[in-house]
Amino acid sequence: MQLTRRNVLRVLAASAAAAVTGLPTIDALADVTAHSDSEFFVFLIALGGWDVTLWADPRNELRGIVHPASTENTDTSQVKRWVDAPLDAGFKTFELVRPRGSSLVFGPGIGDLADMADRITIVNGLEMNTVAHPDGQVFSTTGRHPTGGRVAASSVDTILANETGREQLLPIVSVRYPSSYVGANLDRRVVPLAIDDVGSISRTLARAQAYDAIPERDRVTAMLSEEARDLAKRSTYPDVLDGLAVQYEGLRRMLGSNLQDVFSGGGLRKSHPEFDYRRRFTGGPAVNAAFAVEAMKRNVVRCVSFAIGGFDTHGNNYRGQAQLQQETFDLVADLVKALDATPHPTKQGAKLSEHTHILVVSDFCRTPQINLGMGRDHYPNNSALVVSPRFRTNFVFGRTDPEQVLPQPAKKFSDGERPIAPPDLLATFLSAFGVEPRKYMRDGEVVAELLRT
Amino acid sequence: MTLQLRALALVVLSVATPACAARPLEHVFPGPKAALPAMGVIAEDTAPKQDLRMVPPEVYMRTYMQLFGGLVPLDAQKRARGGDGGALFDTWDDYVSALGFPDYRLDVPRQTQTNALMAATFERLGVALCDRALEHDLKPPKGAEAPPLKDRLIFAFDLPAGDLDAHAFAPRFDVLHRTFLGYPAALAPAERGVRFFQLYQDIVAGHAKAAPKSRFSPREAGWAAVCYGLVRHPEFHLY
Repeated sequence: MQLTRRNVLRVLAASAAAAVTGLPTIDALADVTAHSDSEFFVFLIALGGWDVTLWADPRNELRGIVHPASTENTDTSQVKRWVDAPLDAGFKTFELVRPRGSSLVFGPGIGDLADMADRITIVNGLEMNTVAHPDGQVFSTTGRHPTGGRVAASSVDTILANETGREQLLPIVSVRYPSSYVGANLDRRVVPLAIDDVGSISRTLARAQAYDAIPERDRVTAMLSEEARDLAKRSTYPDVLDGLAVQYEGLRRMLGSNLQDVFSGGGLRKSHPEFDYRRRFTGGPAVNAAFAVEAMKRNVVRCVSFAIGGFDTHGNNYRGQAQLQQETFDLVADLVKALDATPHPTKQGAKLSEHTHILVVSDFCRTPQINLGMGRDHYPNNSALVVSPRFRTNFVFGRTDPEQVLPQPAKKFSDGERPIAPPDLLATFLSAFGVEPRKYMRDGEVVAELLRT
Repeated sequence: MTLQLRALALVVLSVATPACAARPLEHVFPGPKAALPAMGVIAEDTAPKQDLRMVPPEVYMRTYMQLFGGLVPLDAQKRARGGDGGALFDTWDDYVSALGFPDYRLDVPRQTQTNALMAATFERLGVALCDRALEHDLKPPKGAEAPPLKDRLIFAFDLPAGDLDAHAFAPRFDVLHRTFLGYPAALAPAERGVRFFQLYQDIVAGHAKAAPKSRFSPREAGWAAVCYGLVRHPEFHLY
């Protein structure tokens, strides 16, 4: 072939096309879009704001404004991975937890999850720009700060339910999680089923048998679905009425599936003894984890979101923060083990854990310094945990500075070097399942480094 | 002489100037002398300008209490549960979150959209209300008479002996329609009455077989089903 200008341009164009089509993220997007309807999601939020220096971004030295957790301010007797290390004035801080075979470093709050370092992804130095609870919770779960007190975007669980779970019986069950349904791209079936505890599903679906029969009530519901459809046809804005018709149909399916027997609190405790329901802080939330496993095993849910409270430790209650973290991550570890032991409902030979994706966030983190009440206040930094086969595991992304534990630039984004922020993490999470983030999110960039290639 | 003429001119000028500036008093007529001519005809746009919204849970609760005879929540709970093992109701605590109430202790915001579990809760509560109201209104204890119409909770009509045809069904359905939806059934879409009568007939025809141990006769079960349909109707929950 002659070295003409045209040939050179052809070669350049062909190699550029090959390079683009060969990008792993493009390949991954094409592949995941087709297969995400067999994926399941669990979202947790540590309500109140956790102390990241006790787990993901550990600090055990007096440096700058950092005053590490110590025997002066922490009850260490129940913290399994706390090993005393010298601090000052006779008080002891902790030794860093370094799981064998991993480069990750944790604080003692990580609990049993340290044994699963090869399955987790840590994001540190999340820039929060807020120290208000409602703002932090909404920002962590939607990627947008509220506007005038109103939530401005859908939460990540609602988005994924909309993209992958519309046909599920329970697209999204939200137990005290700040799930939000905002925007025009959403199907009415994925309005979060927001409840106080999973036992209320069972109680809500319980029906008396002394007066009428199931088929009779079902006949009424079917008629109401027709009524809603007819009213929608006459309406200028039919969406809400059409949505109600769909929800009546969903109710018929729920009542026809005998879920009330399966999802009672007692029933779940009995069928999932692998969770510890007697823990001081996470005994209650353990029922939610059991619900997640049972509902995914039966293929009736797509997203389960729940909250673990008690992290807002401004005063002397900070003494229990390390144990609370330990119990939280122990619960995550128990959940992963339970998913390992459960077969996937539709993929023969696959385990649920291979297709279940867990994202754990919090409002923000707590101050590096101890306040006069021996607690820690709100601080505009954060960390997050991902347990997902679609993410690069045994890996930490993002960082904070050594003296103030504030977010530092993590990489060069399209708007320049800056720390990672919740919109980036959520956009990355969505993209891992073939969802185009910009369809739902105003901000955020996919961080390719976080994804498994 | 010149001075006198000047003085005279000044006097004339000072009198003439206000006289020229003055004008007759304005008179405002009470209306146009003639009707304005029509330039064109445009139909008034009465279409709603926004989508329907869910009735706030507080409003739902207050309406529910009112329908139950103006009771306070704990009394309504007591009446709905009954002492007969009917399992029609548990406690309000079991339903408040599913109904969409906010929880300010936990910063859980109010829900503004219905969902399938909320529809299930509406059914659970609606069934309790209708069944207990039917017992109160149409099913007096042995030896007692049904309460007078003015003291009835929901079913403010008497049932004729024998089968009920569409003609006899319509005015009774209208009573319930006004109670729950707030306007006469005659103003509703025409198929609604037909649909509810069909529901009534289906339940009456199949009740003995579907629920052989039921505490309701087929006709009572038919009216209870009509009540379920109205207390859970889209127009009851949206505005």
